[in-house]
Amino acid sequence: MKVGKWKLLLPLALLAVGATIGTSGALATPAQANEVRFAIMTDCKGAFAFGYEVDTAGTIAALSQYAGAKPKNKKKPSAGMTGGSAGGKRLNLVGIGCGDETPALALKETRRLMVQLRADIMLGPLSGDEAVSIAQWARQNPAKTVIIGTAGSQDPTMQIAPKNLFRYHGDGAQWNAGLGEIVYKRLGWRTAALIGDDYSFPWTSAAGIIADFCGIGGRITKRVWTPPAGGDYAPFIRQLPRPNQVDGYFWLVGGANTSAALTAFEQAYGPLNARQHSGNLFLYFLGANTTVAPRLVGAYMGGFGTFQTGGLKNAQARNYVRNASRWFTGQNVNDGFFYNYWNAAWAMVQGLNKSKGAVGPALQRALPRSLKPGFQVANKGVLRLDSRRQAIQDQYPLQITRASGEGTVSTSIVGYVPNVDQTFGGYFGPNKPAPGRNYPPCVKRKLPWQGKIKVVKNGVITNQVIK
Amino acid sequence: MAERIRAWGVVGTVPRALAAGLVVFAILYVLVIADPPDEFGGGNWRTTNTGSALDDPSTFLTTVLDGLTFAGLLFIVASGFSLIFGLMRVVNMAHGAFYLLGGYIAYEIQQRMTGSGFGLNPTEVNTLEWVVPWLVAMVCIGVFGLAVQQLLLRWNQGQDLRQALITIAVSVIVADQVIAHFPRTVPAGTQQFGGNAVSISWPGWTNRLVDLHVGGVTYSLSRLVMLALGAAVGLALFLWLHKTKTGMVIRAGVDDRQMTAAIGINIQTTFALAFLVGSALAAFGATVGGSQASIAQGRDGEWLLFSLVVVIIGGMGSLAGAAVGSVLYGLVFAFAVAYLPTTGNECCTQYSVVLTFALMALVLAFRPQGLFGRAA
Amino acid sequence: MTVDRTKLATERVIGVAALVVAVLAPTLFSAFWLNSILTQALILGIGAASLIFLSAYGGMISLAQTGLMGIAGYALANMVTQRVPGGETKGLLLGWDPTVGLVAAILLTVGIGLVFGAVASRSYGIYFLMLTLTYTVIAFLFVGSVTLIGGFSPVAGVDTYTPGFIGDIVTDRERLYYITLITAVFVYLLVRYLVRTPFGVSLQGIRDEPVRMASLGYNVALHRTIAFGIGAFIAALAGVLSAWWFGQLSPTTMGLDATIQMLVIAVIGGLRRIEGAWLGAIAFLMINNEITNRIPSSGLPVIGGTFNTVIGFIFLAIVIVSPDGLMGLWDRMWDALRRRGGPPHAEPEGGEPAAVASS
Repeated sequence: MKVGKWKLLLPLALLAVGATIGTSGALATPAQANEVRFAIMTDCKGAFAFGYEVDTAGTIAALSQYAGAKPKNKKKPSAGMTGGSAGGKRLNLVGIGCGDETPALALKETRRLMVQLRADIMLGPLSGDEAVSIAQWARQNPAKTVIIGTAGSQDPTMQIAPKNLFRYHGDGAQWNAGLGEIVYKRLGWRTAALIGDDYSFPWTSAAGIIADFCGIGGRITKRVWTPPAGGDYAPFIRQLPRPNQVDGYFWLVGGANTSAALTAFEQAYGPLNARQHSGNLFLYFLGANTTVAPRLVGAYMGGFGTFQTGGLKNAQARNYVRNASRWFTGQNVNDGFFYNYWNAAWAMVQGLNKSKGAVGPALQRALPRSLKPGFQVANKGVLRLDSRRQAIQDQYPLQITRASGEGTVSTSIVGYVPNVDQTFGGYFGPNKPAPGRNYPPCVKRKLPWQGKIKVVKNGVITNQVIK
Repeated sequence: MAERIRAWGVVGTVPRALAAGLVVFAILYVLVIADPPDEFGGGNWRTTNTGSALDDPSTFLTTVLDGLTFAGLLFIVASGFSLIFGLMRVVNMAHGAFYLLGGYIAYEIQQRMTGSGFGLNPTEVNTLEWVVPWLVAMVCIGVFGLAVQQLLLRWNQGQDLRQALITIAVSVIVADQVIAHFPRTVPAGTQQFGGNAVSISWPGWTNRLVDLHVGGVTYSLSRLVMLALGAAVGLALFLWLHKTKTGMVIRAGVDDRQMTAAIGINIQTTFALAFLVGSALAAFGATVGGSQASIAQGRDGEWLLFSLVVVIIGGMGSLAGAAVGSVLYGLVFAFAVAYLPTTGNECCTQYSVVLTFALMALVLAFRPQGLFGRAA
Repeated sequence: MTVDRTKLATERVIGVAALVVAVLAPTLFSAFWLNSILTQALILGIGAASLIFLSAYGGMISLAQTGLMGIAGYALANMVTQRVPGGETKGLLLGWDPTVGLVAAILLTVGIGLVFGAVASRSYGIYFLMLTLTYTVIAFLFVGSVTLIGGFSPVAGVDTYTPGFIGDIVTDRERLYYITLITAVFVYLLVRYLVRTPFGVSLQGIRDEPVRMASLGYNVALHRTIAFGIGAFIAALAGVLSAWWFGQLSPTTMGLDATIQMLVIAVIGGLRRIEGAWLGAIAFLMINNEITNRIPSSGLPVIGGTFNTVIGFIFLAIVIVSPDGLMGLWDRMWDALRRRGGPPHAEPEGGEPAAVASS
């Protein structure tokens, strides 16, 4: 053997270095008995990347308000928090998950947060298909607790509904409750077409519109679903009936595409007439307030169960706005993302206080079945969860209005729909399919709030019903 | 052995006949077979949204126009991709990332020029406020592409797979960096950076419908402009490659690199030029695409795929191929959306994208080098 | 020559050491590491092995492997999951016997792979790369568009319906780890065996000289098609394991990002040696894990950006410095030793590896 020993040592050294790095990462830090480990799951990539700071802000603000935590940086929520305890235990925010609205990454991040970083509670995720994915994960991991952040798909608390999964806000269908009735009555729509992206959130969102609009007697004559990566909206727009063939259109196209789809509509049929268009939160929220909403001033739209500016004028709402605004600068606490994560974190604190800091099934039993969030009015301002741990929530259909600044727009509340439950009074159910391209069918039926939607004027709920 | 090869050949003709049959059937379906829907939304395999070309000629015409105008945009982007490949055998997998960066640059310039332009009424944008962003984006991306070529692709010419891998690395880095740093100009209360969707505005005068005086069809002027821009790019590239000395050098370089270099022509300068122009065309396309739709993260992968498909259908490195590829892709896409059978509410528009990719697989199955490509 | 023998011996020592570590892994590493890094690395390694097999011995760099993995996973998930209340909601929920489903899913994937391979068999080099990329895109769009078999929502529950001989892998993750390890070793041995068979030898001949092999009477297209089918088989194994490991399927696992990720893994490991597959996978996942935990939100210091920027630069460096990846670096290190130790060699040295340089 002529080769010197060092020639063998070199690769072995490399191996040793590799193994060291490996084991250093593999070594777990010892868990402390006097802390509760929790994580935030949101998006930092994809269409909802801006939710990263907003969601974190909502969570930390609530923990600051109710659990004595303190933001590390008032301008940058993702910097994290210090202090904070609930149920006699220190709150340890182990990490903030970074999804991109795809289920695959959401699941990966969930595992990182809940297994590698050993969180016991997760606040999140942000979007529909992510929540489906995480609900399935939760079903297999009953010791962990998930409180959905602000995702709007129906399945997690309807068809899947694991016992360790909670949602203190509405799903995409609930968020649109009342909208169909308002366009039917106020604008006289009898027939309408709808166009949306081809995945679970727009389907759920459409389901709420269909339930309402068809429930009162309207007819959906066409549903167009656009696939991703199409590149051009023109051919899809042409599948919609022409403006003289229907009374209106419901838009459920989201993210980067709302503006492109509207442009294609203008190019096909001329200028947009706001009286002929309506849609879900994609028309104003999630960045559309600058690109889409200015083109549709006057249009009615669904929301989040919240509103951007000029909200409800009552003590509970004012109280929430005052409390929530204290902790960060530059955050809009009326935003649905902020509000929903705030409520999720608040519920977690209440649950931990009741369970004396215990996690797992004890916490799941202790998590509140009712909450007093800022924008709940019915039942004396108490929001209740149903038997599948899903919120029964008030909804507020909105109208896009012109604001004071040049070219800027806002929303105002036009209606108040009390106690919207996830089944729409039995229209949806755990044994029925989840909303899809062609489900639910368009049928006339009585909804619990039909004919009872109250008019809201300047943020005050009146006794008049919408006619 | 020879018999086995022959047997393989016979088996090989069956799919050929099948494919030809499919194409003929698709054309017949659109022209005569399709039926308009009945009143209550029932239907069978013949039921489409509007019926065949005979039933509804104006829908047929607008579908053709939708396909062609989209093809104009496709061609602008894909021709740059094809030019680079044709001359240098470099598959620039960073073309989509260049598109993304170019689009955001054009957006930022337009925002600077128009002041706070979010949600701005298209009629408020004048021609200059569209042309300047467009030119600046082209120059920026052209120079950027040139830098990439000089730094990373010059010293390894001829190793085409390695170069493709290098451009993949560039695309991963560039796309990630663009998302981290754009959009910069956003209204108050909106998240800066993160690759959020932004739109560029067409100049105001394009924002109207023109009467085509055929079957009462009116059509969007901005889409027609898009087609015209595509045609102009095609014409300019054709004249450049065929009527100027530089162009002839380029074409000679495509045919025989060593020989061109041997007779004393500086092929390196020509390569650099081609990369500059090819990259700049990505930014050109992005400005048009950003005006038509939007610029957002994810568009990079989308447009890389579009470019690949167009160029694979047409044949790598062929200008005519890129044109034909764009038109085929645009038409198949538009017709698939409009003429896939529908029953009830359920329309098949969702399947249109699959069909465009199936088109490409079909072409390649019989012509691996694409319609206009030379044998690999 | 002694250097070569020493190299072989060294590789054997390292290989056996790695295997020993792998077998003992459940006692050496934390549960998270075992499950999320090692198991995943083995699975991605099998996927990358299917890519490297085609590239190293067939001269075909295929981007279809992620698509084929996805097809296998989706086929399995649709076949074995059952319709029960409070259970899965997406997919066909056929409820077949899991063993039948497993075999059927692999067979289906191989079948589709053979069709793909037949169509691509006449394309070479960069054309082949792009054509196979579109296969993956077609698979992605198909699954996303056809909501009956999934759509963009996740199809779940595939890990709860496993064949009896696989057992419970949801709670017993060590079990899944060992199943994956055995499969990885099997794939490694399979490839090592295949390339020594007459088929493997003629495949390598076709890789180097397709025209000459054709004129010698070899059916080039058929050889390449069969090789692609074998690649699809390996990818199917990876796809099934991946489905079990992940528990859910969604189209993005076949997206452009995932496809490029698989290529990055193969290139980091080295496109010419099958061992590179697992080396690349473990390197990639360790980098990924370290960086994701270190720069969670605000982005990289100074330049900004995420993990992608880092992996992009690493990828770039590897392609520039050593296009044959880490295994190529290793080989070149020994070449350098040989040049120092013994007399100059007649063999062509270093330079450009065949798989990457030619087309």
